[in-house]
Amino acid sequence: MTISVLPGDQGSTLNFKLLANHQLGGFGGVGEGVSVQIAKDGRRILWLAHESAPKNFTGLDVTDPKNPKVVVQTALPHSYLRSNSLEVTGDVMAVAYQAQKPGMTGTGLELWDISVPESPKSIAFMSTDGAASRGVHQLWFCDGEFVHMASGAPDFVPHNVLDDQCYRIIDVRNPAKPVEAGRWWLPGTRVGDTAPQPKRHPAGSDSGFRAHNTNVYPQRPDRCYLGYLDAGMFIMDIADKSNPKVISRWDNSPPYAGFTHTALPLFDRGLLIVTDESVLDDGADYPKLVWVLDARDETNPVPIATFPPPDYAKFAKRGGRMGAHNLHENTPVKTSWFSDQVIVGTFFNAGLRAYDISNPYQPKEIAHFIPPAPTGAPTGSIQINDVHIDERGIVYAVDRHAGGVYILEMDF
Amino acid sequence: MIAHPAQLFGGGRFGRRLPRPGAGKVPVTVVTGFLGAGKTTLIRAALKHPYAANSVVIVNEFGEIGIDDVLIRTSTEEVLLIGNGCMCCAARHDLQRILRNLYAERETGAIPPFARVIVETSGLADPGPILQIFHADRTLADHYTLGGLVTVIDGVLASRAEAADAVWIEQVVQADSLILTKSDILGAEDAAVLTSRLAAINPQAPVIESEAARTDPALFLQQPVLPLQKADRDSHHGHEADYQSFVLRFEQPFDWALFTRAMDALVASRGEDILRVKGFVDVAGTAGPVVVNYVRHLASLPEELNAWPDADRATRLVFITRKLGRAKVAALFAGLLGLDD
Repeated sequence: MTISVLPGDQGSTLNFKLLANHQLGGFGGVGEGVSVQIAKDGRRILWLAHESAPKNFTGLDVTDPKNPKVVVQTALPHSYLRSNSLEVTGDVMAVAYQAQKPGMTGTGLELWDISVPESPKSIAFMSTDGAASRGVHQLWFCDGEFVHMASGAPDFVPHNVLDDQCYRIIDVRNPAKPVEAGRWWLPGTRVGDTAPQPKRHPAGSDSGFRAHNTNVYPQRPDRCYLGYLDAGMFIMDIADKSNPKVISRWDNSPPYAGFTHTALPLFDRGLLIVTDESVLDDGADYPKLVWVLDARDETNPVPIATFPPPDYAKFAKRGGRMGAHNLHENTPVKTSWFSDQVIVGTFFNAGLRAYDISNPYQPKEIAHFIPPAPTGAPTGSIQINDVHIDERGIVYAVDRHAGGVYILEMDF
Repeated sequence: MIAHPAQLFGGGRFGRRLPRPGAGKVPVTVVTGFLGAGKTTLIRAALKHPYAANSVVIVNEFGEIGIDDVLIRTSTEEVLLIGNGCMCCAARHDLQRILRNLYAERETGAIPPFARVIVETSGLADPGPILQIFHADRTLADHYTLGGLVTVIDGVLASRAEAADAVWIEQVVQADSLILTKSDILGAEDAAVLTSRLAAINPQAPVIESEAARTDPALFLQQPVLPLQKADRDSHHGHEADYQSFVLRFEQPFDWALFTRAMDALVASRGEDILRVKGFVDVAGTAGPVVVNYVRHLASLPEELNAWPDADRATRLVFITRKLGRAKVAALFAGLLGLDD
């Protein structure tokens, strides 16, 4: 058999083509913020939120995807902060700031004017500092009017420190003055709630009852598809943003290990694709899955399949995490690819994977990209963390620690 | 009101629309040709080229002492050997087993990743039964796609043959591409005569000089573009007269049920003589062409492409037949469709 990949380098590519890898000047740890801007001069800028300090965000010119160039890289004011998440609409970029511990300052939501990509200018900063708040972990900003985010708040005090980030809707129609339009949290998690506190997951897999992804699409602007970690997934009625209401909840854990992350609706097909994030090393929380739900009746989503997971024996002991995390979310902006037939997701050391879901009962892997461990990877393995695909079909997959961004073409 | 479960499948009736035929599957290139034609030399040259990186080669050794392929593989040889027997009969099942095992072992990390399979058949193999495994074995068809049938032609022997062997003609007429070896020994004039004879037998397949194929394996490893739309064959002699290669065009979109009815009728009555049918079908209501492939009486699952490759949206079907002429096939379609041939 002829083999071009040497034993031990862990690399494997099937039906993706690597165009370029950029390690961002040695700061190649990227979080969950990957978004594309087409600047007024026609350049295409990829904006990346870093996983951790010292860097805040990086703008990369990917007009020629084979030859990416850094145009700007910014720094965080505190070493305990991380930006983790960002989203671009037009020439405005929203960035999330989270601290390592509750009570630390500098957390919040910041809006940036990126009309001149080399010189981002802050438009507004909305603090989310509070005694029990770690700030903003993730945000969604696609309509230019509202930011939907997983965030703590100065006045939000949970019973359990792990439950500090609720679902908050921020009105940014006046970007200079963001104001909260509404919020929701799992009843029973906040001090003062009349509902009983939720039963914690077993020790070792208690990740918290808090918001993660907060997806809202123009097809249903009155719905938020909300991942809520150990509480599972919620379909929320946000017709009245000041009073979000639960339409349905789907929770697979226990027996699974929680950390429900993303709920991606495929409206024309009545499907929901739901991920649970792997958060433990060495396969300790295997299997972290991608689920297919029949959501034709939004009041009763029913699981009908899971994506075939990466092989445990092959990946679990490679180092770091293995299993599901982010998806390309059909982000409703003009610089995003759309597909309801192929789902592309990230699986940490099992790389980037694409699945054909034309038969929703039998998802099938059709492509993967697993680069060798990047130089300086603390886990000794790749940890593909997030992915965005632009409307040209160019794929941007990022490593959590060192590898930066991998720019790929799809061949499937 | 709750939508019908059919909504969950979305898309068209042919499943996911593809950017190209076989997208998302591992291509299997089948290399055939008589003993001594130069198959192994060609494959070994290809393996040194970056285009063929991550390839697995499966060799069918006819007439050799049966060798356990597992033993060969664990000794890190470059090739897998299929045990004794010609691949068109008993060893075909070995090929199916090996392809299944390879896929499973790749998924579990038992073997390094591979992105392509090259099968070298024994010189005596009729390629038809090998091509049929991609149609008959649904498990295999889920993971693999025929990347092309490549027939290697020994230029010296072929130019001397007055009346060619039937298996040789079947290897030539069914091929997606033809590799001509030893043309330097043959001389330019004889090579030109042979090339035009090959083109007459199989007008759809490009004839590639082996030197060019060794330099650029993409010439024969790349999935063939369907169909090339060359003229029907216009000259033949000896056994060659039994074989036909022709293109049918239909300008009007097909109702899919009607199309399948026509093909069902054809293969039910003359399946053994339909060596291959391949092409694009313009199906009413689809955005791109539907790719169809038949080998004798078996059809692969049809695939709908995202878009037509060019402005020509007519249905184009290449028929490779034995003792079955264009007129009869066209008349069958015309009768069913109420068309003038």
